[in-house]
Amino acid sequence: MFEGVFLLSAIFVALIYKESVISHFLITSGIAIFLGLIFFIAGRNASPTIGKREGSVIVTSIWIWFSVIGLLPYWLSGSIPNITDAFFETMSGFTTTGASILNNIESLPNSILYWRSLTQWIGGLGIIVISIALLPIFGFSTVQLFSAEATGPTKDKIHPKMSETAKRLLAIYVVLTVAQVLLLVIAGMGWFDAVNHSYTTMATGGFSTKQASVGYWSSPAIQYIITFFMFFAGVNFTLFYFMIKGRFNRIKENEEFKFFIVFTLICTALIGISIYDFSLPASFSHIEKIFRDSLFTVVSMISTTGYVTVDYMQYKPVVWLLLLIVMLTGASAGSTAGGMKMIRVLLVVKYAYYEFKRIIHPNAFFPVRYNQHVVRDEVITRVLAFIMLYIMIIVVGAIVLSFSGMGFLESVSGMITCISDVGPGLGSIGPAFSFSEIPTFSKWFLSFVMLIGRLEVFTVLIIFTPIFWKR
Amino acid sequence: MVETVALLSAALVAVFYKERDGYYFLISAGITLLLGVSGILAGLKASPLIGRREGSLIVTFIWVVFTIFGLLPFWISGSIPSFTDAFFETISGFTTTGASILNNIEELSHSILYWRSLTHWIGGLGIIVISLALLPVFGVSGTQLFVAESAGPTKDKIHPKINETAKRLFLIYIILTASESILLRFGGMGWFDAICHSFGTVATGGFSTKQASVGYWDSPYIQYVIAIFMLMSGVNFSLYYFGFKNKFRKLFENEELKYYLITLLSFSIIVAVSLINFSEAFSFAKIELAWREAFFNVTACMTTTGFATADYMFWKTFTWVLLLIAMIIGASAGSTSGAIKMVRIVIVVKYCYYEIKKLVHPNAIIPVKYNGLIVKADVITRILAFVLLYLFTVAIGILILSMSGMGFQESIGGLITCLGGVGPGLGQVGPAGNFSAVPEFSKWFLSFIMLIGRLELFTVLVLFTPAFWRK
Repeated sequence: MFEGVFLLSAIFVALIYKESVISHFLITSGIAIFLGLIFFIAGRNASPTIGKREGSVIVTSIWIWFSVIGLLPYWLSGSIPNITDAFFETMSGFTTTGASILNNIESLPNSILYWRSLTQWIGGLGIIVISIALLPIFGFSTVQLFSAEATGPTKDKIHPKMSETAKRLLAIYVVLTVAQVLLLVIAGMGWFDAVNHSYTTMATGGFSTKQASVGYWSSPAIQYIITFFMFFAGVNFTLFYFMIKGRFNRIKENEEFKFFIVFTLICTALIGISIYDFSLPASFSHIEKIFRDSLFTVVSMISTTGYVTVDYMQYKPVVWLLLLIVMLTGASAGSTAGGMKMIRVLLVVKYAYYEFKRIIHPNAFFPVRYNQHVVRDEVITRVLAFIMLYIMIIVVGAIVLSFSGMGFLESVSGMITCISDVGPGLGSIGPAFSFSEIPTFSKWFLSFVMLIGRLEVFTVLIIFTPIFWKR
Repeated sequence: MVETVALLSAALVAVFYKERDGYYFLISAGITLLLGVSGILAGLKASPLIGRREGSLIVTFIWVVFTIFGLLPFWISGSIPSFTDAFFETISGFTTTGASILNNIEELSHSILYWRSLTHWIGGLGIIVISLALLPVFGVSGTQLFVAESAGPTKDKIHPKINETAKRLFLIYIILTASESILLRFGGMGWFDAICHSFGTVATGGFSTKQASVGYWDSPYIQYVIAIFMLMSGVNFSLYYFGFKNKFRKLFENEELKYYLITLLSFSIIVAVSLINFSEAFSFAKIELAWREAFFNVTACMTTTGFATADYMFWKTFTWVLLLIAMIIGASAGSTSGAIKMVRIVIVVKYCYYEIKKLVHPNAIIPVKYNGLIVKADVITRILAFVLLYLFTVAIGILILSMSGMGFQESIGGLITCLGGVGPGLGQVGPAGNFSAVPEFSKWFLSFIMLIGRLELFTVLVLFTPAFWRK
């Protein structure tokens, strides 16, 4: 298994011969293939049974290995000479975060930029396959939140066989990527930029080929296209499958999807109103620009992509706070987005209301329902525990970061943006800047945080508990 | 019932004719008496049955009514001419918050300052009686967290009868207040200041007779006395009763007390270390000062008292984060302090660890234990719901405050401090500032926040749910 995955990465690497840095990529693929073969041979006699604990270790080490090898092109070619920075940028790629230490993106060779965007595409692909297809086998409760597993009978599963499921998801992912490329090219973006941006949009990553991110293109068409695809990337991919099969009522019934749309629109409206300059005479183009800017920014942050078209630090603090909240909630489960995921937020909100009802009528039984099914107690408590843990990590992380010397705004927003795998933060790590100036310790810490966030917290943290190591 | 309590307040008001303002107090007492009597007459025929919903309504109503009458001395005498400000200051008194809109405390008359501190003392007394004696009867879940109710058999209850319990608590409260006053007097504080500060300490309120708060007195003795009494006021009052009855084992076994002390001390140590300037010459005096400042202010924030001896805005940024966290955690349940309360935090943390254990051993039953007893599942979920609701209120509240025009730091610090009943916030509403410059709307909103924080969220918020009003 290991070998297959290494070779995949190496082959991708070998594909991008755009400029003179080819030699560095060849070296990297060589190393990757070599190490892959070694592992394959070493692992031949290992038992094929994989339990939960092994699953945790495997998934976590895959991500780390990929980052270690994936940073080589940057480091060997001198594009990112510092190994801390190279690791950070690579991990930011594979976890589809999009936080960058680069201050002059446009000076890098095309193949390096392509590799950068590709790391995100691979990361997105990986997370879909792993969370929908592999982790349920390992029995990781955190991802069993799709209406299928969370509520009992597995009616929402796309297809009973795991590899079939994986293939279909891969197909949807590729189709959406290609569609976005075509539309962007038609709208006026060059092929190279279109492909790179589609990679990072579908992965909800956010790396751009321009230092100004998507703000480089002032074309409304391009911005709307990317907005739509960011939104799509934040939708549960199983819903796309249902759409293809014509099972539209499945989509209509999906509460998470409805909540996602409504929540996004409300936040867009709130931000739109906050940034609207009422002293200027009302004009359609002014309103349209405000709408476009707020919609783009909200969808970008809620889908945890992280593209920017405006420097939101110029807006009022209430906008920053709304964006932080949206970064925390994330988008739908079953997509490439990060954050806590809408379904958890929705379940918790329903649960809080349920508690109110219970205070008034303590003897009545009010079950929490989702998608028409009753949600079992253990699922609810697991969701509550996840959210609690998520918040605790953010709090502890913010303290650690501020201890290391980062400012208040930067510590809090840096933590939130990395654990939810969004990209830009507030203050000196905001949309107009990069993560290059933060302390070295913080870069390693945040790389770790990005990993924890991508793998839904429990998967990685479980490795740190003493119980994990007891037989 | 309402009448007795209103008369009590009026009588106390009439007691301290220190200056010409005695006149205003007589008027306030008169109004209160009049309305109290009419209240009794009107309610003579009401049914004595009080259910949960009535309990909620009554408790909320009491606080609001007290505030309305309590603000009269401030308003009528012209000490606080703005009605909004007077309401804010009074509710800050009765909810034992201690956030103030006063810019020049020292110019107010003695009787006004006395009334101000007295509102704290009454508020603290009220909350102890209500939460330990009354609310359990109503069965309001928010406060049923004492070891007794949360773990099953009522072994920790002080005394089976409400009246007996209330009397004993009142006694403990008075003894603490009196001893602190005497000790402070010994330390060189005048009788007036000593009594007012004791009122503010035992109620974990924080109103001082000086604009510089306790920082006015440089004396280490005075600062340590107040710090220790703050710490003691943050302990579950039932434990004092056990101390009297020589049941010391109960004290040692109490997990909440242990975590409370450990957390308080560790935060103090961390902050103290950050205050020491390691480049300067080593001296005992400097270390003692750093420790004293850290210990006092951390204790003030964690016990939700809110006295200040230093402007922590000048400290390193991460200490603000630590202080905010202390303000959110709070001290022990069964004390006059506010916020989430240590026992809930302990159970939530234990629960998260339990969930991680379950991931590794899904079929084992590993119950969450507190004070040696197993905690029932529905108690856990209720606690999780409370913590989530609290955090949710913090998030929405901060948004609302920033929308009303408050800055980033002020919104965050202001909300957290008022919800937790602490007092000082960050930035302009920090220890060197006050709430006078905050927008009108925000003052009303924060008054509301102080109320819901004091009454443990559910009690007040349940009044806003449609389910409450259906019969």
